[in-house]
Amino acid sequence: MEAQKYVWDGAIPLQIHLHESQVTTLPPPPPALILAPRIGYLPLLASLLKPYFSSTLPPGVDTIWYIPTGVLFDLLCAEPERPWNLTVHFRGYPGTVLIPCEGEDSVKWSYINSLKEAAYIMNGNCKNVMNMSQSDQLELWHSVMNGNLETYQRVSSKLKLATVEDEHTSLCSSKSQQGFGETDLAGQVKTGRVPVRLYVWSVSEDFDDLEDMPKVDSWEKISYINRPVEIHKEDKCFTLHDALKILVPEFFSNDLMNVKSAGVDFEDALRIPSEDVSSDKVVEDHVQNAYEHREACSISSSAEIKLIRIQGIEPKLEIPFSWVVNNLMNPDYFLHICVCVKVPQQNST
Amino acid sequence: MAAESPSSVRKVVVHLRATGDAPILKQAKFKILGSDKFAKVIDFLRRQLHRDTLFVYVNSAFSPNPDELVIDLYNNFGFDGKLVVNYACSMAWG
Repeated sequence: MEAQKYVWDGAIPLQIHLHESQVTTLPPPPPALILAPRIGYLPLLASLLKPYFSSTLPPGVDTIWYIPTGVLFDLLCAEPERPWNLTVHFRGYPGTVLIPCEGEDSVKWSYINSLKEAAYIMNGNCKNVMNMSQSDQLELWHSVMNGNLETYQRVSSKLKLATVEDEHTSLCSSKSQQGFGETDLAGQVKTGRVPVRLYVWSVSEDFDDLEDMPKVDSWEKISYINRPVEIHKEDKCFTLHDALKILVPEFFSNDLMNVKSAGVDFEDALRIPSEDVSSDKVVEDHVQNAYEHREACSISSSAEIKLIRIQGIEPKLEIPFSWVVNNLMNPDYFLHICVCVKVPQQNST
Repeated sequence: MAAESPSSVRKVVVHLRATGDAPILKQAKFKILGSDKFAKVIDFLRRQLHRDTLFVYVNSAFSPNPDELVIDLYNNFGFDGKLVVNYACSMAWG
C-alpha cells in the first residue's frame, strides 16, 4: 500500500519561535527547526522543544492540539509555507483551557478515544478497542508516535476494524482485515459507515490565488463536524464528490437554504435546566437529516467550495471514495477533511 | 423533513448519568443547543459538581473531543431521542 506509506512518511518542517513575551535571555534564542510528522500531534514535540527553550509546558493547552499536525497545517497555512512558522508561548497562554495537557499521556488518551469513537461508528460498539491488551494499546500508540507503519498495521489488524473494500488499492498485507460491504449468504449487501471529521472554514471574499485566501486567525472560525458516510458495496462509482454531497449537502444544494445560526446566547442553554423535556417537540429523530454550522450564515445556491484538502493534497473529486478512505485516513481510523467554502455576504436590510 | 422556520432552535436532550462514586445530579436531563460544543457539557458538569477532574463519556464507551458538536454526537450516538453522557471522577473506561 504505497500511498499509505507516503501518508505516514509525510512531515511538515516547523520553525518554532519563542514569543517575545516569553523570552528571558539576551540574546533571545534562535528559532528551533523541527520536522513534525503529519499523522502525529504537536504536543508530542514538546519534549524535543523543552530542552531547546529551557521552559516548562504550560498547565493547560487548547484542544486544537489534539488534532493531527498535518490537519492543523492544512487548515492554518492556506498557501503552504515551508518551514511553517509557529510561535510558542510556554507560560500564561491565553485561551480556553479545556483539558490540561500533561504531554504525551493527554495526547494518547485523546488518540485512543478517537479510535474508540471510530470503532463505535463502524461497528456500533468499541469493544474491540476496549478489550485490547495494555501492551497492544501501548504498542499501537507508540507506532503512531514514532510513525512506524509496519507495527501499526500489525497491531491494528488485530482490532478487526472494518475497512472499506476497495479494488483500486492492492491489499497485499491486509488479508486479516475485514472488508466493508461483504455479501452474506442471502446475497444481501451490507453497508458500512466511514468515520469522517470535517473542518470547514467559510470565507466571504472570493479569491483566485491561494496566497489571497483569507487566513484562519482564530479557531472559532472553523466548524468542526463529525459525520459518518455510508458506503454501499454495489456502488462502485461512489466518488469523493458523492461523499461530500452527503457530508455537507448545504454546499451543494441548489435550493435556498437558511442555515440557522445559534442566535441564542449559549449561556442560556445551561440556565434552562428545568424545562419539561417530555413535552418538547423540537427534538425529533428527523434531526438526523439537518445539519447546522456554528457560525451564522445564510447559504444560497452560490455557496462554493473553494478548496478541499486531505493529507495536504487537493484530491480530484472524481476519485473513488473507497480509495480516499483506505489510503488517506489517519491512524485513528478517521478521515480528516479540510474544506474552505465561500459563502455570500449576508445582506443587511 | 419539515423545513425549519428561522425562529426555531434545535436542541438536543442530554441525559447525564453518574458512574462509580460520582455524585448523582438532582436534575439529570437537560436540553442543549445542537450547535453547541461538547465542551459545554463538560464545563457544565465541572461547575455543577465543583470538580475540575472529570471523565466524561458517551454511551459508557468513549470520551468525545470537546470540540465536537452536540448535534453530531446525537446523530451518531444518540438513541431514544437523547444523548447519554456518563461522568466519573476517575477513569471508568480506559
